[in-house]
Amino acid sequence: MFNFFKKLSKNGQSKDTAKKRLQITLLYDKLEVSKDILDDLNRDIVEVISRYFEIDKNALTLDFRKANDERMSALVVNTPILGSKQKSRLA
Amino acid sequence: MEGRVIVITSGKGGVGKTTATANIGAGLAVEGNRVVVIDMDIGLRNLDVVMGLENRIVFTVVDAVKGRCKIKQAVIKNRKIDNLYLIPASQSDNKDALTPEGVIKLCENLRKEFDFVLIDCPAGIEQGFVNSVSAADEAIVVCTPEVTSIRDADRVIGLLYSRGITPKLLINRIVPEMVAKGDMLSHRDVVEVLSIELVGLVPMDDQVVICTNNGVPLVTQKESKAGEAFWRVAMRINGHSNLPIEVPKGNRSFWDKIGFKLRKK
Ligand SMILES: Nc1ncnc2c1ncn2[C@@H]1O[C@H](COP(=O)(O)OP(=O)(O)OP(=O)(O)O)[C@@H](O)[C@H]1O
Ligand SMILES: [Mg+2]
Repeated sequence: MFNFFKKLSKNGQSKDTAKKRLQITLLYDKLEVSKDILDDLNRDIVEVISRYFEIDKNALTLDFRKANDERMSALVVNTPILGSKQKSRLA
Repeated sequence: MEGRVIVITSGKGGVGKTTATANIGAGLAVEGNRVVVIDMDIGLRNLDVVMGLENRIVFTVVDAVKGRCKIKQAVIKNRKIDNLYLIPASQSDNKDALTPEGVIKLCENLRKEFDFVLIDCPAGIEQGFVNSVSAADEAIVVCTPEVTSIRDADRVIGLLYSRGITPKLLINRIVPEMVAKGDMLSHRDVVEVLSIELVGLVPMDDQVVICTNNGVPLVTQKESKAGEAFWRVAMRINGHSNLPIEVPKGNRSFWDKIGFKLRKK
């Protein structure tokens, strides 16, 4: 019974793990970017954006997508902006 | 009009290239096209047994390319399906017995006689792959919804692009029940990861093994889901490009359905 509920509530499905791993692996195969480099990049981007906006550091996502026509990669940064830091910058 | 040369390839082995070649070939022939399928898996031939033609081999693709026989002599007619022909691989020759130039020349001759020349590519990206894709105008990349197979497909897709071919994807061995549970990548996931156009979705089906046992094509078995899916691929290749790609559906149990609904909330 416990297992039954665990199965129902489990959102971390193995295919999501597979997809994430694949996306990172294919990227590494092509651009030779590793998970560590991506983590560093994430940290630096958070740092830069934080200078201008108030953001939720943990909500920021980094995605590599393929441009539609070419087999080219595009870096997509997505972050909710909680507030502006303009005022404090001016002060 | 000259025929189209289409290579069926994958990178990773055992994903269903030979099964796909035999069935797409049979489907195209049933539709009235003159079709020849070529087994390029030199040393590990299989297309002959899948098609039930293993007892009729005299000459092979290597003989035909090297001029050890006339092309006509290496072409075996499938007696069960009109207009379907096979050029078998050689078992005794070395893997690099062929060159791209030789294969291109062979296909130039064949495309004058046939509407479709389908090439069953061996696994890997070495000489056998290079020979198989050298003559192709179009390519179908076969993969399964598994991480390893998708990664290898990506590599092959890149290699095909660099040769000026825009391949299409066939996803084979889909288990709809696992997809529904989230334990198998859905076709949408695969397409998103590979960013490539789909040509077909084929479910896992016991009939594949049964038909291979008997050496008959699946596409002629009306009750086979995989057969139906391969037939649709053949139809799409044969110009019915608007034919919708059907997503394999499973026979979900009562409990699975309930679980599915609850999870959705
Ligand atoms: N949709 C399917 N459902 C069930 N079994 C399948 C399906 N497709 C392929 N198979 C089985 O998987 C195995 C591998 O298929 P096949 O020989 O066509 O792959 P392949 O890519 O040509 O392999 P290789 O790389 O060795 O040439 C075979 O035993 C075949 O019967
Ligand atoms: Mg094969």
